[in-house]
Amino acid sequence: MFKNQQIMDLPTHSAISFMPLADKALLHKQLNWLAFYIPLIGVLIALCYFNEAFANNAQTHLLIGMPILIAVSMLYNMVNIRLQGFAVREHDVAFKKGVIWRQVTILPLARVQHMEIHQGPIERKLDLASIKLFSAGGVSADLQIGGLTHADCKNMRQFVQNYRQEDTNSRAEFINE
Amino acid sequence: MSNTINEEQKSSLHWQKVSPWALLYFVVYFSVRFVKDGLLNLLPMLVVFVTQVENKLFWAQVAGGAAFISLLVYSFLYYLNFRFCISDDHEILLNKGVFKKERLTLKFGRVQNVNIAEPFYFTPVSLVNCIFDAAGSVSQEVVLPGVTKDYAQQMRKQIFAFKALQQNEDEQPALSEADLAENSLRISNKEIAKFGLMSNMAILAIAALAPFINVFIDFLEQKIIYKVEGFYQQELGMLANAATFAMITLIVMLVLMAVLLSVTMSLIRFYNFELYFKGQKFKRIAGLLERHQLSMSMDKVQSIVIKQNLMGRLLKRFTVECLQTSSGGIAAGVAAKKNKQTLVLPVLNSEQVDSVCQWIYPWFNSKKLLFKQAERALLYKNLGFYAVLPSVVVLLVCYLGEFNYWLSLGAFVIFTGLVSLSYQRYGYYLHEDNGRFYMVVRRGMIGVHYRVFELYKAQSARSISTYLMRRAGLESLYIQLASGQAFMPYIKKQDADFIIDFTLYQAESSNRSWM
Repeated sequence: MFKNQQIMDLPTHSAISFMPLADKALLHKQLNWLAFYIPLIGVLIALCYFNEAFANNAQTHLLIGMPILIAVSMLYNMVNIRLQGFAVREHDVAFKKGVIWRQVTILPLARVQHMEIHQGPIERKLDLASIKLFSAGGVSADLQIGGLTHADCKNMRQFVQNYRQEDTNSRAEFINE
Repeated sequence: MSNTINEEQKSSLHWQKVSPWALLYFVVYFSVRFVKDGLLNLLPMLVVFVTQVENKLFWAQVAGGAAFISLLVYSFLYYLNFRFCISDDHEILLNKGVFKKERLTLKFGRVQNVNIAEPFYFTPVSLVNCIFDAAGSVSQEVVLPGVTKDYAQQMRKQIFAFKALQQNEDEQPALSEADLAENSLRISNKEIAKFGLMSNMAILAIAALAPFINVFIDFLEQKIIYKVEGFYQQELGMLANAATFAMITLIVMLVLMAVLLSVTMSLIRFYNFELYFKGQKFKRIAGLLERHQLSMSMDKVQSIVIKQNLMGRLLKRFTVECLQTSSGGIAAGVAAKKNKQTLVLPVLNSEQVDSVCQWIYPWFNSKKLLFKQAERALLYKNLGFYAVLPSVVVLLVCYLGEFNYWLSLGAFVIFTGLVSLSYQRYGYYLHEDNGRFYMVVRRGMIGVHYRVFELYKAQSARSISTYLMRRAGLESLYIQLASGQAFMPYIKKQDADFIIDFTLYQAESSNRSWM
């Protein structure tokens, strides 16, 4: 049977103080969504222009619905970005995200198999980047943190690369932190 | 693996050729590869051949003959170029290839397993294939075909001795007397046949036949259904229902054929199953056409899965799988299974499950695992989403389609039963044994699925909660392993947080190698 023996102070992940994403992360998110909505609006305008029957039926609904949809998704993005946060601890990286389903994922640095830094065209313009950390057995990246500054991503990559479990403090010291 | 070797080493290397009988292996190997990979690529040509060519039989014979001769010539050239050597630096070097020459270098330290396979065509000459598995993937495998069994076993000993030496340097704990005692298990072929009934091999076999299903159905209609129908009409005088009876007979026959096929496939794979466990290593020998010898070190096992499906429940049998790292997701996991890297114990009764698990985890006793269940909120949520909502949909369909409303009540009862079964199955159990911490996670519905793992092998941990869950102080817990995932929904937040913190503590503070 499991004995819940006292192991001094077990580091608790619920006490992690998460850092917010970069300032421009929200702008990046909004631009990304606009990059989806603008072509969609273009297609709908073209449909209304060339198809009179469609225009008669849907024009009013679209004129009311589309601005509401865009406004709601913009608001959702604001909340979503505000609720995201990351933390790099001595032995692991933590990331929280989610509006409806709130997730906290913690990946021990000793389990990181490889990393990727990704910068799309909008991210390059805003000097942002996203980092993916892969461990064994996962279907895709175990941890994907977007909306960081490129410098933060490179620092994190360097930190993870430099991490060696045996170099860190001994087990007892680790517990006592 | 690397493909470089320095010049000084080159001169001192003693390159060896495999036995000429290995030519048989190459012929079989390239034939199988041609059927698996090549035929699909030749499909467009096949379409042109079927639609455009007039003298089909003659040209088919010419093409078949040319393909056969090419296969023999290619295999022979491959055999001539195939050389291997064991370097003083504890490496296996391999030269191979016909058009593209390759040199592979596999360090002893990177060899995960050394497996010995005895194909039926090598039995008269007492030769085997020696398979060096590098990382659980097909592409990183070195096969020495047609070597003597003694040589293969000597290679295995040499590699494991080298790895043990390396591990001792890394301060591995010494093996106790209990660890060095040999345990063994033999599964009778009658039991193996039961695995055919339990497994989904029949479905896989039918799936493999899917491209030809139309041709098959046409054939059945023309050749069998009419005859069976005629039989019922003439012999039994059932004029009205002859067609229905013919159809039922055919379906029963097809199911029986699928089951027979599945049983046959199980016997081919696990014939005369023998399992040995000594010094924290498994050795499994099984197979009808190819006696495949798989060895697996316990520290490579990431988790052990014990599962029982509906048929398993009826037969009171379980399947146990010892899973290794499947880096790269589902595809690599499937590849590892295909490559026989997963140790599967196909049919065990509950006593055998306990006995085998106790070789690895002496504390394991399935009857004494006190599982902590999910909170009742999970039951209410699932009843709402998976019983009430679908039943309302069924009620609407009954209303619109003017069916009997009792159908929706029936659906509600069935869905409620399944949801309740699934809720009751969820459970987790934590165990401490000699300073090591283990977790057992249970799930299922009609069947049951246990995953047993040591906490320090966790790759990452995740908690998920919704607004309502947070209000009720609940969280769902995921622990990612190198071979799958342990999931425990709707447990108390404080418990979930403790498990996450403790798992991370184990993973981050342990100096033991997890892979």
